[in-house]
Amino acid sequence: MKTYWVLVGSFGSGKSELALNLALEKAKEGPCTLVDLDVINPYFRTSERGDVLKPAGVELIMPPFALDKIEIMSLSAQVFSVFSPGEGNVIFDIGGDDVGSIALGQYKARFDRVPPERINVLFIVNCLRPTAADFDSAMDVLAKIQYVSRLKVTGIVNNANLAGETEACHLAEGYELVKRLSEATGIPVWGSCGTREVLNSFKLYVKEQGLDPTYVGRYQAIEVMMHRSWDKFLKEGL
Amino acid sequence: MAKKLMKGCEAIAEAAIQAGCRYFFGYPITPQNDIPEYMSRRLPQVGGCFLQAESELAAINMVYGAGGAGARAMTSSSSPGISLKQEGISTCAAAEVPCVIVNMMRGGPGLGNIQASQGDYFQACKGGGHGDYRCVVYAPSSIQETCDLMPKAFDTADTYRTPVIILADGLIGQMMEPVELKMNDNPTMPEKPWACQGWDPKGDRPRAVINSLYIETEILDDLMTRLNARYDMIRQKEVMVEKYKTEGAEFVLCAYGTVARVCKAAVRILEENGIKCGLVRPITLWPFPTQDVHDVIAQDSVKGALTVEISNGQMVEDIRLAVNGEKPVDFMGKGGSIIPTAEEIADRVMEIMRRA
Repeated sequence: MKTYWVLVGSFGSGKSELALNLALEKAKEGPCTLVDLDVINPYFRTSERGDVLKPAGVELIMPPFALDKIEIMSLSAQVFSVFSPGEGNVIFDIGGDDVGSIALGQYKARFDRVPPERINVLFIVNCLRPTAADFDSAMDVLAKIQYVSRLKVTGIVNNANLAGETEACHLAEGYELVKRLSEATGIPVWGSCGTREVLNSFKLYVKEQGLDPTYVGRYQAIEVMMHRSWDKFLKEGL
Repeated sequence: MAKKLMKGCEAIAEAAIQAGCRYFFGYPITPQNDIPEYMSRRLPQVGGCFLQAESELAAINMVYGAGGAGARAMTSSSSPGISLKQEGISTCAAAEVPCVIVNMMRGGPGLGNIQASQGDYFQACKGGGHGDYRCVVYAPSSIQETCDLMPKAFDTADTYRTPVIILADGLIGQMMEPVELKMNDNPTMPEKPWACQGWDPKGDRPRAVINSLYIETEILDDLMTRLNARYDMIRQKEVMVEKYKTEGAEFVLCAYGTVARVCKAAVRILEENGIKCGLVRPITLWPFPTQDVHDVIAQDSVKGALTVEISNGQMVEDIRLAVNGEKPVDFMGKGGSIIPTAEEIADRVMEIMRRA
């Protein structure tokens, strides 16, 4: 039986980055399919990293026009194939905010036939994005996403980051937010994301400050695969 | 405010609001749609007005109206949409209406593509609309710099009663970077006695008129004399330029916008190869930093210069005018929104140096 991972969240919360990393990780265990369901942004989509995904054995399902650098909000009929019986993992990368999650609604009948314990719906939170910076706006986006996607979020992900300038203190800030969200909704914290370096210092911080591991969850290391050339420009400073 | 991870378009919109912009009129076009989207959500929260116009032409004329009434007003678009606004921009210039226009340049001509480009330099700096006018043009090269320039853009527009263009390439709009916004809940607004804000027949203030039609030759000439005096003052006071490692350089790169960042990476590569290379980066494209560009490139130590653009060569003409034949100026750039890499730029410089 397949396991499903649906990544939702605010625009720019880091869904695509986690989707790519998760796909590469799961591909080591067995069959893995990544579904690019982003209807929001013609730039920076997971489909662009086919060069990394295909050699790693990840099957990529993307909108027919995804790499033509044009905007046509269409979803591939191939998406339905991931609901056929089989083994392995299926990862859905969804467009930002509730408008992005609308794309999920039409698959409700298919998701209903999957045992609930096989569906992980992860709500990615970057508290350093102005649109999800505080508890109220994060709660608002969460409610709207659940409503339009017709799915229940099963885990909250602390993905606090300032791109290349991320430090452990940012994850600590994110911890406070996901803790509050988790307490208010009863949804567990699935994990905390960061580059290996940031995660290591966050681990120390967690120990030193005695943070509750329930609200830290697993440490999910992220290798940055999007925006590469941009980061390179950044190093030169201004 | 602490640093936030923001997309360029969102940051520009928020920075405009912090600069006192309360009126935004626009029409959708990629890659700047996030500006109107953000404005539509945020402006009502601060007592402002967002309106999606029926066309680009309508949007710029709404800006003309709001600016004429003394408000800080803005519109944004991308290359083909900016072409449609030119008539209104010319009208704003003639009627001395301050306003800010953001152009997130995409590939052209025609509908072109939706990737980043710098093909609208001529349009922004050399006219654009009809008639004998100028716009102040700022070319930021990072999201932080764009945010920092927004209050300046509105101030410049008000001080000189002129349209101001933020000429950014699509990269600035679409990428995300950490930025620190200067929050300002109560930005100070200059007095605008010329604005149309209602006339009291019993008061002593003369009737304010916003107009771009000057039938009498002498009256139009009066306007042009007034505008030219202002343009001269802008040339004297408003030039902005960044000089990076130019002191005693053997070679000089010239670039604006995000390409200048790629050039900085190239400067480092060249340094590793024993070539002392500098970069001159105009921040205002009009007024153009003619004197600074000349002084950097005409240094005795400099063997040559290379202008890099995401176009087939536009700013290079102003660089060559500034250098006035004193040193050779080469050009590197492509249409089709193809951004050169730092390695390609460094290779090209080394090739030119070998040839020299």
